[in-house]
Amino acid sequence: MKQNLRLTLFVMLLFSSLQSTFAQEREITGTVTSKADNMPLPGVNVLVVGTTSGTQTDFNGNYSITASQGDQLSFSYLGMTTVTITVDNSNVIDVQLEEDAEQLSAVVVTALGIKKSRSSLTYAAQDINAKELNKVKQTNPINSLSGKVSGLVVTRSASGVGGSVKVTLRGNASIGNNQPLYVVDGIPLLNPTAGQPSDTFGDINGGNRDGGDAMSMINPDNIESMTVLKGASASALYGSAGLNGVILITTKKGREGGFAVNFSTNLTVESAAYMMDFNDETQSNVDDFYDNGVTNINSLNISGGTKNAQTYFSYSNTNASGILPTNDLTQHTFNIRETAQLFDDKLSVSASFNASTQKINNRPVSGLYFNPLVGAYAFQSDTEKLSDYKTFEEYDPNRNIMAQRWFRGTSDIEQNPYWILNRNASEDSNKKLLANVNLAYTFNDWLTVQSRGTYDQSLLNFERKIYATTELTLAPANGRYIVNNNDFTQLYGDLIATITPKISDDLSLSAVVGMSTTRNTTERFTADSGTNGGLQYANVFSFQNFEGNPQVSFTQNSYETRTSSIFTSATLGYQEKLFLDVTARNDWSSTLPASDNSFFYPSFGLTGILSEMFDLGTNVSFAKVRASYAEVGNAFGADQIARNRSIIFGGGGVSSAEPINPFPGTTPKPERQKSFEIGTEWRFANNRYGIEIGYYSTNTTDQFFTVPVSSTVGVGPLANINSGDISNKGFEATIFGTPIENDNFKWRTAINFASNKNKVIKLVDTDIEGVNSLDNFALSAPGVNTFGSYLVEGGSFGDIYALVVDRDANGRPIVDLNPDGTISSIQARDDDSVPTLDKVGNANPDFSLGWNNSFTYKSFSLDFLIDGKFGGETVSMTEGIVEGLSNNSQRKTSNGTVEVVDLDGNQATVSAQDYYGKTGGRNGFTGEYVYSATNVRLAEFALGYNFTMGENSFFNNIRASLVGNNLFFFYKDAPHDPNVSLSTGNALQGVDVLGLPSTRSVGLNLNLTF
Amino acid sequence: MKNTNKLLACLAIVGLVSSSCSNLEDYNNNPRDITQEQLEVDFQHVGSKYKPIFESIYQYTPAWSYQLQQNLNADTYSGYMTPPRPFVAGANNTTYNLVTGWNDFIWTVPYNNVMNNVKSITDLTETELPTLNGVALILKVAAMHRVADVFGPIVYTNFGSIEKAGVYDSQQEAYNAFFTDLDTAVEGLMSDIDSPAFAAFDLSYGGNLQSWVTLANSLRLRLAIRISKVDPAKAKAEGEKALSQGVMTSNGDSFFVNSVLSHPLSVIDNSWGDIRMNASMESILSGYGDSRMQSYFDEAVDYPGSYKGIRNGLPLQAGYADELAQKADYIGFSGMNDGVKTSSVQLMTASEVYFLKAEAALRGWAGAGDAQSNYEMGITTSFDQRGASGASAYIMDNTSVPSDYVDPVNAANNALALSTATVAWNAGDNNEMKLEKIITQKWIAMFPEGQEAWSEFRRTGYPKIFPVVSNQSGGVIDTDIQIRRIPFVDSELSTNAAGVADAISLLNGPDNGATRLWWDTGGSNF
Repeated sequence: MKQNLRLTLFVMLLFSSLQSTFAQEREITGTVTSKADNMPLPGVNVLVVGTTSGTQTDFNGNYSITASQGDQLSFSYLGMTTVTITVDNSNVIDVQLEEDAEQLSAVVVTALGIKKSRSSLTYAAQDINAKELNKVKQTNPINSLSGKVSGLVVTRSASGVGGSVKVTLRGNASIGNNQPLYVVDGIPLLNPTAGQPSDTFGDINGGNRDGGDAMSMINPDNIESMTVLKGASASALYGSAGLNGVILITTKKGREGGFAVNFSTNLTVESAAYMMDFNDETQSNVDDFYDNGVTNINSLNISGGTKNAQTYFSYSNTNASGILPTNDLTQHTFNIRETAQLFDDKLSVSASFNASTQKINNRPVSGLYFNPLVGAYAFQSDTEKLSDYKTFEEYDPNRNIMAQRWFRGTSDIEQNPYWILNRNASEDSNKKLLANVNLAYTFNDWLTVQSRGTYDQSLLNFERKIYATTELTLAPANGRYIVNNNDFTQLYGDLIATITPKISDDLSLSAVVGMSTTRNTTERFTADSGTNGGLQYANVFSFQNFEGNPQVSFTQNSYETRTSSIFTSATLGYQEKLFLDVTARNDWSSTLPASDNSFFYPSFGLTGILSEMFDLGTNVSFAKVRASYAEVGNAFGADQIARNRSIIFGGGGVSSAEPINPFPGTTPKPERQKSFEIGTEWRFANNRYGIEIGYYSTNTTDQFFTVPVSSTVGVGPLANINSGDISNKGFEATIFGTPIENDNFKWRTAINFASNKNKVIKLVDTDIEGVNSLDNFALSAPGVNTFGSYLVEGGSFGDIYALVVDRDANGRPIVDLNPDGTISSIQARDDDSVPTLDKVGNANPDFSLGWNNSFTYKSFSLDFLIDGKFGGETVSMTEGIVEGLSNNSQRKTSNGTVEVVDLDGNQATVSAQDYYGKTGGRNGFTGEYVYSATNVRLAEFALGYNFTMGENSFFNNIRASLVGNNLFFFYKDAPHDPNVSLSTGNALQGVDVLGLPSTRSVGLNLNLTF
Repeated sequence: MKNTNKLLACLAIVGLVSSSCSNLEDYNNNPRDITQEQLEVDFQHVGSKYKPIFESIYQYTPAWSYQLQQNLNADTYSGYMTPPRPFVAGANNTTYNLVTGWNDFIWTVPYNNVMNNVKSITDLTETELPTLNGVALILKVAAMHRVADVFGPIVYTNFGSIEKAGVYDSQQEAYNAFFTDLDTAVEGLMSDIDSPAFAAFDLSYGGNLQSWVTLANSLRLRLAIRISKVDPAKAKAEGEKALSQGVMTSNGDSFFVNSVLSHPLSVIDNSWGDIRMNASMESILSGYGDSRMQSYFDEAVDYPGSYKGIRNGLPLQAGYADELAQKADYIGFSGMNDGVKTSSVQLMTASEVYFLKAEAALRGWAGAGDAQSNYEMGITTSFDQRGASGASAYIMDNTSVPSDYVDPVNAANNALALSTATVAWNAGDNNEMKLEKIITQKWIAMFPEGQEAWSEFRRTGYPKIFPVVSNQSGGVIDTDIQIRRIPFVDSELSTNAAGVADAISLLNGPDNGATRLWWDTGGSNF
């Protein structure tokens, strides 16, 4: 039957070209675009109504069909409202399709900005639009993804406003970077950080600081949509940078038509909400210490243009004061984007320029050094209040200087918190520039060539001025000055040909061939007058005031990496039923040895559209199954294979130890990830309900481990080798639907579920002479404290190790008692491969569940998101430290008791004050401070009202909403918020060490459209 | 057609990109660091490696690293110094609860800073610049005999070998190799003794190679004396060779490292208040009325007009809430005098050599001279070095003996003097008493170099120093016999387990602090 039809069609076409007697039949051409963003829509079904004559648009949304005047052409596309147009006397019919708001968008932006129909994808991708993102606006837009995408875990940084964010997609795999790649309008975004904390003690060189990230400097209002490509199959085209998945950000651009002006303002008030259980006096001091934070984000955008040229402009500013006194942020973002279509729409040009500046005073630190929370939480006095020490200095006649005052002697970790805030003050000053140009030329209906270029620069600068009379461990007598400046610059260029040849009606092919080149440079400057060197004159913070000896440091570092790539991708479709996706990429990386600097990675995927293949009944609107396999290589960072010795300032000569290099005789190779995923997607009841389920399995091998080598081998105490195998397996599911919908009331809901199981299959296992196998690899080394995170064969990424109290069979602590019945010492347990410490849990959840709801009633809307993480553990070193330093915890002062047994097994009762005084401390029994990380919270809440104004009104639309963020926990075991972490790196996960408490915020949002 | 051309052009660019990838490694360095080629200017590729060697035998910086390398072991075991703070609640090295994390530095500092650099100097100079190689070998012996004297077996002859990675030498093999290296060094130096090549890199002798030869000979004498009990024949041969080739005679010959860095003791003593005089020092110096007391120590801040030391191995004593509370009571005892905290680190003095010769004379070695005159020269040379007065009267003093020790903070730590030896030489004394005087005076003269003092204490039993107050070794180490060595370190156990297992079999007992080293026979001194 089908064969006959095709033959008929062929004959008809033949006739039309041979004879002019079919004059009323002619070729109609046109372009189908999306109304939302003017982007061409590939794969739109174009049909002459009432006939079997049909075609599909190509990659550029172009179609060509033979029809007669008066025929009706129907343009249909999954997720968009079908449009029917009657053929008049024009030969060109351009159509714009509007997204069916009730459904997920039909077109998904994939790697390199290539748009694909959702149905053809062979891997998991989940997108989220601007409206969803900005319901409850956050200073860092990535925070808004939490709970809205299955398999994506957002961990907020405990560094207050402007803090960076850790995103984990499908679990952690690498001892290097586990963060996804951010891609803005098809081009990889540089998302550097000036550093992340790794030590529970804190960094003596300025404190455990969050070095920031680029995403915190993006104006959330510029984002049109985000698409999360979760696995390597989806991101293989990005090569190594996409190893951990990709978050694609599509930004807004100008639209044809009159100028539209949108202004939004957002005012939220934050309060310190989730803290440990202090006793009443301390709680009152702590409450008094923290301020209410206020965040105000104002954003203006203007868009407009003609058919050929469009402009989008936006400006935003953020003024925020944190809950930590003196902590504030000022940020401005500026964005202009021009788009134009020239030469009969054959050439499209887009250029954009973004600039952001951000200034943060006293960004909160974690750990013990330079952390005002140590003193604030440890303060205890019968006669005074903490606020009495707001007067943090007093005159010292011996030095003729204003000296620190505190209720007791200061120590390396404890100073007057107000002194730290005012006299150890830090300033982060960051700038981001992002400029890009995109040219695309359509040669004909099957070939488009585009070229893009970006200049992407992040300047991350930090300084801390430490005044004289600061504790001597942290700064010499005259004070200390620390400066850290970073310039991260990326230049990116690519050239991509898109080929969509017409093969036959049954077979469609869309192929991409391209090349790209990326150049990254890092310039880093650090100056530090040091803890032993110092300043010549007190409290003058300048380089000329540095003592000129090797105890002060001036360090410059420059790194450059270049990556050149060629890649290709092809999607072969058969009758809209089957899609085969193949990608291949080869990278040449400057970070690898010249002899072995090339690496190749392929991916394959297959999708079957069940609903097209079989008759599944009218209730099933759509059904598909998909499977894919990918391999991605990951080159390591700059300067890893032939490091030179460094020079030490002030006559220190060259460094004495051998630099860390690959073990002699081995050739470093890129880390490799192999991933497999399958999934199925179903829509029911005219797309009103849907479910997507996926399973994935990845193995990451050949990681570049730095292993200790016997210092007698002469290669230095450390060397690098490739080894290891870490596996992640997991399920992801999304269920969504619109259970209620009528003229006035609508309820839309979505549930995102994800579980991940991680296993360290192999660590460092080698038969190389001189290199030993590793029993464990520290992600967070305990140092002199007692929290650690280690990779151990058979364990999982994120396993937490703590110093554990030894207990008898009944669970009672075993202690050595003094003759007076008090505890002399508590017995520790140690029973595994990690020295001293024992495994007590894992920082990562077993599964996560997000429940997103949206109700609209007439002009009212109510949205809320319930975000749950189930499983996992977290350690409150905060509590341990407070109990070790003071009697300020509730349980230490509550006259409680603890049942213990002595060394001979005799039961005894000791006071809680005695017991917790002995378990506490930075190097105490951290095992006593382990909590379940399971938590369920009301993450977002927004109650809004839409004022629809008349046509003639000055404002077209006014929307006002009351918003809340992180409002309360339905369930939480830990004293702190387990969704907050001290680092966006691999270290310090699952522990709170005097991190800034998580906040609850409520506010008002006002959005005006002119 | 036109389109096809463009496609071809595009492919050509792709080809260019891929062919340009061959020199990618040019980028893969931090140009702010220094390359081998850049180092070759002024021969710094060789010369720059001496500085870390000089500054790591007794490590200058960071001070905490030196604290772990030597101050919290040999400097206290030798009876020189005591930390006022009972670290780890009193359960630490000083109370024989050996802190493995600390002791790692005794091993890794010299391996990572001395052995590696000596090896690369030797690789570059062995055949062409024997003088430069000679100096490096002397420094290597100076550094590594100290390591062998702590642990026993060490990796010496197999260092840097991938094939025999981590294979230990017995202490005897190591000592034999030290002598051989000194032979090679002296031979290399003599081949071009007037060469100015080392002047720019010399932190000790201003490039005078003859002084290096003298140091090599003096070191040979030190090592020969060290093995005089366990291998008398070899000791005599090496000792007589050293004496015949010429050893240090005046303070100008002494081996100091002169750095621009501050002395680590100044940081540990001043900034941290982590080290004070030892009770044995107080007992002996004040008992003898030794005027070098003022050169070595400051008066006790808490006891003006007197010098106060602290007993070795104090636990966290009863009545103190924590370490810092106890430290507060002891920090006011005698700290180090500025005279020992100059930026020069003392590694071997002419006075020590006189005492070595005095012992060599007792042992009948040819060329050693007269025991008494060497002994007395040792004392006067030391007094001269310190600018101390009264040497002649001191030498004649045949009544003063070490005094009893009183701990003004805790009387439980009081101790009676352990020795009745006087200063004055008495030809009628037996060899044992003579040796006690020689070693006691050498011990005073070598201050603050605790490593050599601890080694000689273990070899001879002199001077008689107070045992630890609290022994927390769990019965492993005898309080009176005192600690004999440090067990092999964690970093070696974790990276070179097989090597350590073999090394343990080369010991005379288990791998703990009670096992005597090869030269520590435990038997009679004569």
